[in-house]
Amino acid sequence: MTRKTINTSALILLGVVAFGIPLVLRSPTYLHIICLLFFYAYLTTSWNLVGGFAGVLPLGHSAFVGIGAYTSTVLSLQYGVSPWLGMIVGGFLAGIVGILIGLPTFKMRGAYFALATIAFGEGIRVMFENIETLGPLNIRGPRGLEIPPTHTGFVNFMFNTKEPYYYIILVMLIGVIAFTYFISRSKLGYFLNAGGEEPEAAMSLGVNVARAKLIAMAMSSFLTALAGTFYAQFTLYIYPKSVMSLDLSFEIAFIALIGGRGSIAGPILGALLLRPVSDFSRIYFGSSLPGLHLIIFGTVLILVMIFQPRGLQEPLLKVYNKLLDRILQQAPQGKAGHEYS
Amino acid sequence: MEFFLESILNGICMGSIYGLTALGLTVIFGVLKVINFAHGSLIMVSMYVAYWAIIYTGVHPYVALIIVVPVMYFFGYYLQDIVIKPIFKAEKDVREPITVIIVTTGVWYILDNLTLLIFGPQYRGIQNNPLRGKMLDIGNMLISVPKLWGFVTAVITAAAVYWFLQKTRTGRAIRATSLDREAASLMGINQFKIYNIAFGIGTAIVGISAVTLVPFYNIFPSVGVLFDIKGFIIVVLGGLGSIGGAIIGGIIIGLIESIAPMFMTATWAEAIVYGLFLVVLFVKPSGLFGVKYDW
Amino acid sequence: MKIDIRIMGKLTVFFSIVALVAAFSVLPAPAVAENVVKVGNIIPLSGPSASVGQQGKQAREMAVEEINAAGGIKSLGGAKLKMIYADSESKPEKGVAEAERLINTDKVNVLTGCWNSAVTYPTTAVAERYGIPFIVPVSVADKITEQGFKNVFRIAAKDSWWTRDQFAFLKDMEKEFHTPVKTLAFVYENGDWGQGFASQWKILAKKGGYKVVLDEPYPSTATDLSPVVQKIRRARPDVLMLVSNAADAILLTNTLASYKVKLKAVIASGGGHADPSFLKATGKNARYLFDIVEWETDVNKPGAKEANAKFKAKYGYNLAGESVDAYLAMYVLKDALERAGSLDPAKIREALATTHLTSGPGMIVGYDSVEFDKTGQNKNASLIMVQINDIGNGLERITVWPKSARRAGYTPVFPMPH
Repeated sequence: MTRKTINTSALILLGVVAFGIPLVLRSPTYLHIICLLFFYAYLTTSWNLVGGFAGVLPLGHSAFVGIGAYTSTVLSLQYGVSPWLGMIVGGFLAGIVGILIGLPTFKMRGAYFALATIAFGEGIRVMFENIETLGPLNIRGPRGLEIPPTHTGFVNFMFNTKEPYYYIILVMLIGVIAFTYFISRSKLGYFLNAGGEEPEAAMSLGVNVARAKLIAMAMSSFLTALAGTFYAQFTLYIYPKSVMSLDLSFEIAFIALIGGRGSIAGPILGALLLRPVSDFSRIYFGSSLPGLHLIIFGTVLILVMIFQPRGLQEPLLKVYNKLLDRILQQAPQGKAGHEYS
Repeated sequence: MEFFLESILNGICMGSIYGLTALGLTVIFGVLKVINFAHGSLIMVSMYVAYWAIIYTGVHPYVALIIVVPVMYFFGYYLQDIVIKPIFKAEKDVREPITVIIVTTGVWYILDNLTLLIFGPQYRGIQNNPLRGKMLDIGNMLISVPKLWGFVTAVITAAAVYWFLQKTRTGRAIRATSLDREAASLMGINQFKIYNIAFGIGTAIVGISAVTLVPFYNIFPSVGVLFDIKGFIIVVLGGLGSIGGAIIGGIIIGLIESIAPMFMTATWAEAIVYGLFLVVLFVKPSGLFGVKYDW
Repeated sequence: MKIDIRIMGKLTVFFSIVALVAAFSVLPAPAVAENVVKVGNIIPLSGPSASVGQQGKQAREMAVEEINAAGGIKSLGGAKLKMIYADSESKPEKGVAEAERLINTDKVNVLTGCWNSAVTYPTTAVAERYGIPFIVPVSVADKITEQGFKNVFRIAAKDSWWTRDQFAFLKDMEKEFHTPVKTLAFVYENGDWGQGFASQWKILAKKGGYKVVLDEPYPSTATDLSPVVQKIRRARPDVLMLVSNAADAILLTNTLASYKVKLKAVIASGGGHADPSFLKATGKNARYLFDIVEWETDVNKPGAKEANAKFKAKYGYNLAGESVDAYLAMYVLKDALERAGSLDPAKIREALATTHLTSGPGMIVGYDSVEFDKTGQNKNASLIMVQINDIGNGLERITVWPKSARRAGYTPVFPMPH
């Protein structure tokens, strides 16, 4: 048994567990929470293409969630277009906006880039709040759009139970992880990595860093927008302050940084820690001691960063590797997926 | 015409108060090279300190500075020393440790919600203060007196901070650290002590800005959030780390907020602020008064 | 074999956090006594609307204490009402998640909430899907009861009624005081609530023959409202109509006063202007302001004074429209449960739909009975106008309209003296 086979079998085991969860866990409450967990993991993985590999800190990604959510919702409400189609349209729109944002901002570094993306995100939200109709499209300004929960079915991307949503977001998540994995191994991935760490050096070697970053940004915003459609169909109501909020942009970035940015497992680990902390502390303290759940959330953020500034992914990977060593040296028949998951 | 002039004056006064809130942010950034996301919460904490100081002693709001400034200085000093320093130690080799953003955001959540837990969600205002609602009548123009005080305070504070950084020994040490951490350390400057002091000074300035707000503003646990993004925009507009830039950036924002609504709704004026911010970033990414090497 | 001790230490921290979380999640739901009716309440307890959420929570608590002390639900063998609160943080997705949890895990029999219309839309949709009755004490947007849902019952008036009554009040004032009003200014927070009111106002102003000289939404996060106040001053309207949340209501009132804007009247729409801290934070600047509310402390209804005195002694501030609706909602629920005699959601829904509540401790509102129409809207919900004035007892809110409800001996001040 080699390291590789163990890795593969661990991954397969993980996939089987993920697909099997709804068979065991019947409670819609927990499925709902897990759906949101996957949703955030998905967003963060998409964010990671820019925020992780390209070495900058975008803090305006909720704008793309909003563009995706609004596009599919407006198209389905006004023209009866299936949200699945609207999802793709929204993705392309977001991709274009992503390039437009990326063109000027990628010249900046560090804090400037972070603040510029905040301004972009907030600017797009303020625009949406000011516009009632966009040409023939009725986006209703700050009042938002509610989706009547009447026409359920796969084509309408609307279901009465949680399981379909669960599988949809799970497949999306697996897809985006595979995509990221593929990108990180590609030439583009190397370019991005080089550009993120030493842009001058990379440029002198003839790597077109700016172009690589733009491509990453376009892909990232496209993928992010797809999740926007999921969000709209999942909660059935969107308005600028929910799908384009700064809170959402921050949360995406935090999950990545807590998990370990620039790694494949980071976003998932981050979501696995932060989402439950956020949900369960709200459930248990939200009513009796208002605000305490956010204090707990803040404390977890600080503690993880103090003890593990590079995110959780690094030490967990080390332990996993040590464990593998041990298994390979000794009796080579143990299963080793647990620590990693 | 009078309305226009009145709007301009109001914009300058309110804007300089925005600038004053941002001044604290820019001082901290100048030295530590990190954005302090807990900035709004520090304004909120300062406002509560000022509120209680004024309520209990019944003094003129500006006399509360005697209490607010030292309290906030030490609050900032120890916040940096206890919570943020460990990150700097762990990430010595990174110039702009992004993780600090998360830590300061954690501080923001904790401070805002701790205030909510302790003081409740009520809105408070100081009824009996000699500045409340006072207006200066010039011709047909009305200028808010507490905002005028804010303008004067902002200018004095900016000048004082500038003088402090240029002329005093500590100030020069702070500047040296902000220019080159390693070189400053080699010169025998204790980098982390300087960080603490800079954070303390930045927070104390935030405290001053809170005192200028308290006479005409209301106080509640999430009040800081309103000033948060505004502060970020101002410091980038003026140039991160630039003292004059923060005040001027603030005045520009104040002027837009004050004049633009004459031609459109106030909600569009908000959009103009973001628009102008982005234009400046594209034309001059280092901000109006920023130093080029910093971006 | 040698696993780095330092990493292990860090991992211990991580896993203890995870374990802590896991421990919370697997804790059995708090053991429940047999005979209870579980009521899930989704309200904003933290975030920008925390103040109003707290009022709703405390009003509910007082009602439930009374109901339980009086022997609970008798037709269910004296079952007690058990309140479960959830914090929406004013965010729709949190509200939806909490609704799912309350329905599926806590198995609540009925839901109430959510104040923010933005949270109420998607949350009522969840309840509708599971067929759980949902009582909305306050969330004023018309469309909440116009979604075709069978399980939604709203106690408060809807926004088309609020705006209708504001204009009816204005007409009555013009007649009573022989002061014609020609021009109006609309200033409102740029959100679902403000936009909803403003769109109705525009129609009503046209019908009433008023000229709208200013139609100004402002961002509810504004830090300086003097530009808006200057616009009002320049537009010189006779009457200013407002929709504001608490922070902006306070700021706007104080700024209007310092700029000495001369108006015949200011008509507000509850919300921020009815917040318990509004009067404390504005003081005499709020004098003569008219506000539309569903309930006021001087309402002429038996039991109202006592209920308010009890509430004030308990929590330190007066009941207001929002909290009274929450208080009444609990009694409407009790009445429905008594008649349903069952915890079956369909039966509770049926009982709610046929509600005809005319008396009891909860009926401290200005109208005579609670009845729901086909859409689930309380047909009789009525509104009153109050004026903030000081007639020797410090600033207070005095009912002035409709005339039948006006406080004895009080003459409204209209137009505003300068």
